Amino acid sequence: MIRQAKTKRASKPQKPQQIHWRLYVVVGFVCALFCSLVGRAAYIQIIEPDKLRHESDMRTLRTTSREVQRGLITDRNGDMLAVSVPVRAVWADPKQVNDNNGFADMRRWQALADVLHEPVEDVLDRVRSNPTKRFTYLKRQITPAVADYITQLKLPGVFLKSESRRYYPGGEITAQLIGITNIDDVGIEGVENAYNSWLTGTPSKQKVRKSRDGHVVERLDIIQEGESPNDLVLSIDHRIQQLAYRELKRTTEMNQATSGSIVVLDVHTGEVLAMVNTPSYNPNARDNLQTFRMRNRAMTDTFEPGSTIKPFVVAAALEAGTVKSTDIIATSPGWMRLGGRQVRDPANYGDMSLARILAKSSNVGISKLALSIPVQQLLGTYQSMGLGSFSGINLTGESAGVIQDRHRWSDFERATLSFGYGLTATTLQLARMYATLGNGGTLYPISIMKLKKPPVGEQVISPSVAHDVMQMMVSVTEKGGTGTLAHIDGYPVAGKSGTSRKAVAGGYGDDYVALFAGIAPANNPRLAIVVVVNEPKGDLYYGGSVAGPAFAKVMSGALQMLNVEPITDKEQVQLAGIAAGRAE
Amino acid sequence: MSKPSINLPQIVLHDLWLHKWILLLALLVLCNAVAVVYGSHTTRQLTTQWDQLLQERDRLDIEWRNLLLEEQSQTEHSRITRIASKELNMSRPLPSEEVVVKVP
Repeated sequence: MIRQAKTKRASKPQKPQQIHWRLYVVVGFVCALFCSLVGRAAYIQIIEPDKLRHESDMRTLRTTSREVQRGLITDRNGDMLAVSVPVRAVWADPKQVNDNNGFADMRRWQALADVLHEPVEDVLDRVRSNPTKRFTYLKRQITPAVADYITQLKLPGVFLKSESRRYYPGGEITAQLIGITNIDDVGIEGVENAYNSWLTGTPSKQKVRKSRDGHVVERLDIIQEGESPNDLVLSIDHRIQQLAYRELKRTTEMNQATSGSIVVLDVHTGEVLAMVNTPSYNPNARDNLQTFRMRNRAMTDTFEPGSTIKPFVVAAALEAGTVKSTDIIATSPGWMRLGGRQVRDPANYGDMSLARILAKSSNVGISKLALSIPVQQLLGTYQSMGLGSFSGINLTGESAGVIQDRHRWSDFERATLSFGYGLTATTLQLARMYATLGNGGTLYPISIMKLKKPPVGEQVISPSVAHDVMQMMVSVTEKGGTGTLAHIDGYPVAGKSGTSRKAVAGGYGDDYVALFAGIAPANNPRLAIVVVVNEPKGDLYYGGSVAGPAFAKVMSGALQMLNVEPITDKEQVQLAGIAAGRAE
Repeated sequence: MSKPSINLPQIVLHDLWLHKWILLLALLVLCNAVAVVYGSHTTRQLTTQWDQLLQERDRLDIEWRNLLLEEQSQTEHSRITRIASKELNMSRPLPSEEVVVKVP
């Protein structure tokens, strides 16, 4: 253009001139560009930053949740009684399956049905039946291996979900005591139910930022504070529990009994070392659960304790001072008329010491003791030892038994109270009463938890009375007593057998409850055990012969497991080697 | 060009020397920026590592639970009793047969 200008006006030589507007246009253009860039940047960063932030968050922010497993239940030595293991549930979104043409490849559905062990029609039915539904379980509690396989099938609209499954390694041995959880991991029976909130945790949820390759690069706020579940240590000794269950099962089968229970208590702490019942069930295979098998009969079922209550009548009489431990009671002629009714012994035992009254289980002798003290005092002794009240075990379904509270009692009724009729107790209550005798008259609350510190007990009978009664009870398992089958070589047993008729409408029927309760070793008590066999149908029905042998097996085995020193004629061996080695 | 010759590098250096504090601050700002980048990078790496360790812990916990179950079934008392009595011909002594060994 300059050239053009030159040619046009060649005559007037002109100074080359700047054409300013061009510069301004370019500069203006560049400035505008800059301004728009800065403006845009400012707009994005300052005025309207939320949209892009949102876009970024959509791509990087994730919510992670940490699943927690229900707490473990262990016995006092750490043996597992209930363990939760993570499993998966496979579910389908029928709407999504239908929308994504999920039924195109039927081989995959066939493979899914095969791995779930279900007919393919059933699986398809559940997805097809209601195509607008958004959720249906296909199968719950599948193993991680099966879950992996299903993931690889890549079925549209079929998903996996974490859940956990509870295993009970103890199986039927601890079934009623531990109880079970339902499929949603909520405890519905036994310890699982009573301590459900303690055992249950809640998953924690946290917002995290994830990088492109899926790693967590930033932890942001916690959406939901998780609560970690707690473990539970029971007072149960699984070895004793297992031994007790084996013996109880054998006893129940041999006597064709309807049911049975054994409770083993530590006399010094009130801890339950074993609590077993028959018939039992396998909590790991619940296809045909029968509710009568799930009851923890040792604490829910009551019965009339029969002769096993007699030692406490002796204790009450000694406590009241109406007899002395050396007294002789005349029971001749072997029967006694009270009101219009008769109390009788199997034979005329003549003059008996208190120990012999217990050894022979003389109804006449014990009735005389009971009649020597006011009835309220007798009932008071029973009540103070835990009859008619809850034991403190704190499990669902415990029964307190019945002990009548009225003002007028006939002499015959007072006599029947002394040999265990007219009141009901649970196996656990009876065991607690015996444990109280065994530890010198201190009543401890029963605990199913392993205790960290010694429990606070209540002195309910004087130590000397408890000691005397226990020494009298030793004669029960010695020659001439009713419980010779409960005798153990090596450990003196203070026990008492009992046989009570079961009450039916309008009186007493033909069924019996056979009992044996005892404490051992009598010289230094450790355990109190009660064996109850309900309705034995064999030839034998006496407590001493039905429940006695099981008592002896469980007691001797348990004491051996606890390393309680037996009384033997053998010489004790000193470990001279170790002693010498230690002295060096 | 009659003016005395100018030593340009000298002038530049002189000028820089005059603003040495600003320069130092600029350098520090740069270092700080790099440190921030490095720090956040390390944090991210550590967070990733932490997360992986947590996952590893969960995996080990599951494995532990399964091993517990296996241990429990292998050491079940009735199984031990059966093996001891049937295969090893052992039996539990009666209390009266026990010999007490006193450790002094």
